[in-house]
Amino acid sequence: MSTETPRKPRASDYKSDTKPVWCPGCGDFHVLLSLRKAVAQMGLRPEEIAVISGIGCSSRIPAYMNCYGFHGIHGRALPLATGVKVARPDLTVICAGGDGDGFSIGGNHLLHACRRNVDITYVVMDNEVYGMTKGQPSPTTAPDWDSKIAPGGTGISPFYPLVIALASGANFVARAFSGDPKGTAKILVDAITHPGFSFVQILSPCVTFRPDQREWKNQVHPAPVKPTSDASQAARRVMTDDGFNIGVLYKGSREPYQQYVGQENRLDRDIDKEFLL
Amino acid sequence: MSKAPGTFSPSFSMAELLVHALAIELEAVQSYEDLTQQMKQCGNDEVADLFEKMSVLEAEHAERIRQIAGDIELPELAPWEYRWPGLESPENIDLAGVHYLMTPYQALTLALENEMNAMAFFEAAANECTDDRVRSLAQEFADDERQHVAWMQDWLTKYTPPDADWDYDPDPPAAID
Repeated sequence: MSTETPRKPRASDYKSDTKPVWCPGCGDFHVLLSLRKAVAQMGLRPEEIAVISGIGCSSRIPAYMNCYGFHGIHGRALPLATGVKVARPDLTVICAGGDGDGFSIGGNHLLHACRRNVDITYVVMDNEVYGMTKGQPSPTTAPDWDSKIAPGGTGISPFYPLVIALASGANFVARAFSGDPKGTAKILVDAITHPGFSFVQILSPCVTFRPDQREWKNQVHPAPVKPTSDASQAARRVMTDDGFNIGVLYKGSREPYQQYVGQENRLDRDIDKEFLL
Repeated sequence: MSKAPGTFSPSFSMAELLVHALAIELEAVQSYEDLTQQMKQCGNDEVADLFEKMSVLEAEHAERIRQIAGDIELPELAPWEYRWPGLESPENIDLAGVHYLMTPYQALTLALENEMNAMAFFEAAANECTDDRVRSLAQEFADDERQHVAWMQDWLTKYTPPDADWDYDPDPPAAID
């Protein structure tokens, strides 16, 4: 029997053979790097991780990770991730996607995923635009963002992801910035290890359709306060948020969803019987 | 992003200096390899070749640091435990400066900036470290980076600065235009 101690995983161990097709300069490259660093730091083996996504540029991320993955349908990443976690509670389930997929097409799923509090981590790479379909305003786009497709701006109040996640019952709420890979890796480790539903908004510039976002690196700043476990305090803080505070806002203590609560020893073999043809 | 005051303190032990030096080079290799692939994908082969050369250069430097480290046991640091002056290790390309139509001159300018950052990092370490052997090695690394700076400056003379309309794309990605 070998007595050799297995070496600690490296970020490069989670690199798949598929090459990213994101535009050069896209913030999602750094999110991918941060995610690899986070799971390496946690010592998770590839077969212990599932990355689930919907549709959009950022939703291509499962293909670039060497672990289990599922590139699902538009806006439905969270139901898929929920199903995976409930069926395989031993896996670390990370759900990932963009602001259009998560807040518009999948907006309703976000509310209920927060409420259900299944132990998954939802990473939203927010670039305030639909990049894959050529630059339409998304739910997080500022009302006055002037573009050829929305001259003068949409005039519609944007969606505030942290406010919605907190109000809907997410057990961990944070914001990161893709241009800070080491800080993002730390927030991801915190999010993944925190029990229940963890929501992480990552500001990830779209350099092609939102070149103005190259300035984000000069606008983001560390949140001046420590995370709180008091939801009402977190709510007061997030209502005065400028959108560029980086850090963990809220760490709750709600018990994560457990599959068998209210059922007496419902074993897998019983489920097999139910579905026996 | 503004960093918290006083977070960069390059007063390293020998093992800390080596683990930081190795991380700088390995992250630079990764960064240049990724950029090579991205530029190839966009058909910008000239810049892709340049980034590929940079990745080879940084890999050679990483190997040299490994040899210097020899049997010294290097600490295993979490990504956020590295003490960088900025958000990333000094030789990581700033993605905000990358564009699919960028010219070799612009790519080399970014690379030059990285080498200067690395040189400044090691010079700061040489100034701050209290152990003479560590100071001496930090100075040696700074001198290596100074040599890279000179190479980048020399390479830059072989290219002309980009025209004003360098990013003009007759078939831009914004189909909505």
